Amino acid sequence: MELKGIKILAFGMIAEKINASEFYLKEVSNTNELLSSLNSLYPQLKEMKFTISVNRRIVNNNEPLNADSEVALLPPFSGG
Amino acid sequence: MERKPKQIFIQGAISSSKIADSIQKHSSKTDIGAHSIFLGQVRTDEKPEGIIQAIEYTTYEEMALQKAFEIREDIFAKYPLTCLHIYHSLGVVKTGEICLFVFTSSKNRKAATEACNEMVERIKNELPVWGKEIIDEKKSLWKENS
Repeated sequence: MELKGIKILAFGMIAEKINASEFYLKEVSNTNELLSSLNSLYPQLKEMKFTISVNRRIVNNNEPLNADSEVALLPPFSGG
Repeated sequence: MERKPKQIFIQGAISSSKIADSIQKHSSKTDIGAHSIFLGQVRTDEKPEGIIQAIEYTTYEEMALQKAFEIREDIFAKYPLTCLHIYHSLGVVKTGEICLFVFTSSKNRKAATEACNEMVERIKNELPVWGKEIIDEKKSLWKENS
């Protein structure tokens, strides 16, 4: 079985900008690597504001990732 | 009793009958002396791009339900509440319709009103929910909370 990589979910404005709400990224072992990989894959993300969650928790520092991690790209919240 | 994350999302607008039913259900809890209710309504906003007709809400549901649960636990720990209910719309809600319903009940009014206000602020700041402001079939803007 081929490894699909880490599952990334995108929401709101981010999903619209990259035209995907779910995709996989290979060869990233932490959130810093993920960010630089995202920036080269989707240069349009560079000028956008978003936070990252790993397993449904917002992360502010570099966080290790593994095959089971669920990562999400969260633009500023605007509920209510 | 152990509390667990509850569903807070409702597809489409929150009806006034849902709100009325929710109030009615509390009549059996006679230790309650005060309810506080917040209702968020979709506003007709005029933007340079056009006039807002509706907001379409989406969420990261698993994270939002977990977060709502945590906030609820915090508020229960901080205020002497009898009940706390939250409902948030998903999907399209037209201007003039209700998209958020927060309902707190307590023995006395101070706890109910303060808890209700804090809950609304935390929902707006911390729940992964996004509103897309719809102008017409082709035009939309991403809502920003002020």
